[in-house]
Amino acid sequence: MALPIKYNVRNVFVRWRSTVATILGVALVVGVYVLMQAMAAGIEKSSANTGSPDNLLVVRRGSTAESSSIISRDQVSTLRYSPEIARNAAGEPLLSADVLVLLNQPRRDGAGEANVLLRGISPAGREMRAQVQLVEGRWFDRGKREVVVSRRLAARFAGFEIQGEFRSGPATFRVVGHVDAGQSAFDSEIWMDADEARALFDREQYSSLLVRPVDVNAATNLIRRLESDKRLQLIARVESAYYAEQTGTATPIKWLGNFLAVAMSIGAVFAAMNTMYAAVGARTREIGTLRVLGFRRRTVVLSFLIEGALLAALGGALGCGLSLFMNGYAVGTLNFATFSETVFQFRITPALMLKGMVFSVAVGVLGTLLPAIRASRLPVISALKAV
Amino acid sequence: MTLPGFVIRNAFRNKRRALLSTLSVAASLFLLVTLQTFLRELTVPPEDVGASLRIAVRNKVSLGVPLPARQRSIIEKVPGIAAVTPFTYFGGRYRDEEFTPFAQFAVDPVAFTNVFVDAKIRIEELADWFKDRGTCIVGQDTLDRYGIKVGERMRLSGTFYPIDLDLRIAGAYSGTMDDRSVFFHHKHLDEMLGGSETVGTWWVRAESAESAPQVISTLNATFANTSAEVRAETESAFQLGFVSMWGNIRLLIGSISSVVVFTLLLVAVSTMSMSIRERFRELAILKAIGYRRRELFGFILAESFGLAIVGAVLGAGGAYLLFHSIDIQKLSGGMFVYFEVTPRIMAMAFTVAIALGIVASIPPALAVARTSVVDGLKTLD
Repeated sequence: MALPIKYNVRNVFVRWRSTVATILGVALVVGVYVLMQAMAAGIEKSSANTGSPDNLLVVRRGSTAESSSIISRDQVSTLRYSPEIARNAAGEPLLSADVLVLLNQPRRDGAGEANVLLRGISPAGREMRAQVQLVEGRWFDRGKREVVVSRRLAARFAGFEIQGEFRSGPATFRVVGHVDAGQSAFDSEIWMDADEARALFDREQYSSLLVRPVDVNAATNLIRRLESDKRLQLIARVESAYYAEQTGTATPIKWLGNFLAVAMSIGAVFAAMNTMYAAVGARTREIGTLRVLGFRRRTVVLSFLIEGALLAALGGALGCGLSLFMNGYAVGTLNFATFSETVFQFRITPALMLKGMVFSVAVGVLGTLLPAIRASRLPVISALKAV
Repeated sequence: MTLPGFVIRNAFRNKRRALLSTLSVAASLFLLVTLQTFLRELTVPPEDVGASLRIAVRNKVSLGVPLPARQRSIIEKVPGIAAVTPFTYFGGRYRDEEFTPFAQFAVDPVAFTNVFVDAKIRIEELADWFKDRGTCIVGQDTLDRYGIKVGERMRLSGTFYPIDLDLRIAGAYSGTMDDRSVFFHHKHLDEMLGGSETVGTWWVRAESAESAPQVISTLNATFANTSAEVRAETESAFQLGFVSMWGNIRLLIGSISSVVVFTLLLVAVSTMSMSIRERFRELAILKAIGYRRRELFGFILAESFGLAIVGAVLGAGGAYLLFHSIDIQKLSGGMFVYFEVTPRIMAMAFTVAIALGIVASIPPALAVARTSVVDGLKTLD
């Protein structure tokens, strides 16, 4: 016969002081684990969210990032009137020749400077990237040194508020609008007109080319045509697939998160073991009584395991709960691929919380296993005599 | 029985608990040392001996924007400058590796050796490099890593530039903080690109440490209001510029460290209280036979302090030994060249352990002090 769960629940709260310490310890471990994974999930989500499956991104063959790609004006004009490329209502081809410039700008809090990516886009570029929505102000006008910045970026850099000004190179730029890019990589960018950016930053070439094919067949055609045209040295990829692969920044964070989880959980297992050994010690007589009443060894082991798991699960729930406060909080760090600031949000998903709970229960069970076995092996008679 | 003997016996009375407490302190301090070392590697770049004289000159817009090659003759005329070399990041890929763990730079070989004086290289290898434009010098660490030798060829496919390089290795250098990079002729890069007239950055060596600030302000002023304004700064300021780019990561690691310390404290206090509570009756007896509160506090303090210090020796000392014996460069895939546990970090870990030992002894000591002898004697467990 199994011992009622109620027995375990009550026991958890009898020795409340060490119980609270253990619960808090597990809570902090699980909290740190969930937050680190939430950061990696945020970075991955921002890459996976970027771009549209309807667009093709064309970059120079051999370049590892969009910012290090080079596309000449000749190449743009060669491709501009390709039959595969769709047209908009005005009959203009849906094609945006972008130029990417890295700007070193002071942070808002005065804590140094960081690189930000400025993207110059062609007039069609805006309608091709529908996920970027204006939330405040207006879009930039061409030729007036106007830019729009992502709202998240605006919170991090000096002069990025609406009507704010910032200097870079020979020019002073005015921020006329804030955009929201739906948690995508475009949330880490400044946008302006491509040809204006090329003139101001003395760039002869473009960086990348975004095109909207007429349909799937046209897309496959274009990809194949560029693949076989050795003269152009370009490759085309589905835009969303291209960005989805740019998740390199998440790797070290995941690695650090796992390392922390392992090291901290070792400490937590020791702490849980201490608490449970003490619990076994204090309940020696009780355990003897249970055994005399006919409860079997494995029932006692199971009962203690449940108690340990319960204890740790309480900690896990608390840790997950605490980490929820950070959900959606925007942070920024260096993106290795673009060498610029990438802004993303902590994403605490149900799956992550579940992982955190499983993790906490594992810590509890691992910490209780040895004390539970010890409890079940207590000699019945002397256990009864113990004070 | 002596007093120290009494304390030691008490500490190990419950061997399992003493071991578990020590190990949990050790695990946490190991983590603390690792995190602090990680943070230090991110924020405090290693410095060469000659660093104080070196000045980096980059485009004011950002490091990603090149500078015109014609600036060289103007820079050379600035008073107080000993040497100037172009320094252009090539960003090549070697052997189709996903991530190439060493950087390649195009430089002017003769000027380069005058700016970066720390590198040690054999004189005949240097002469060979100077002579032949199709050659490069490679850091000893990179040669060892790939098992290649001087005289062999190195092929690099460009990710930044639309060209591939095929260079002969003229020599190996060592003695700098990071013996991994590859340096080759800037003229070779220009030729391959069909007459390029830009460079990535300029690196300058000032004649003396005193003249460096003057050189920096002159450089910044000289190119102000030109089409390519520059930012000149000392090598350490240049390196620190990268630190700010890490953004919130630094704060995050800092907070995790505090969480670790806090958890540690919690566990230690709870363990200490646990072991004292079991001995309440004994302590009451000690009180009854005339020991004072102060002395009882001393016993508890010594025990808790001892456990914390042993934990620190195991955890922090273990981290020190571990990080000194492994090849972090290989393990981290080139992300870290050094993972040095400094005396400062060790001192911090031990300070935390000492504070921990003291703080953990206070709640149980207070409980003992507050309980009267009679109540203490009545306690059962």
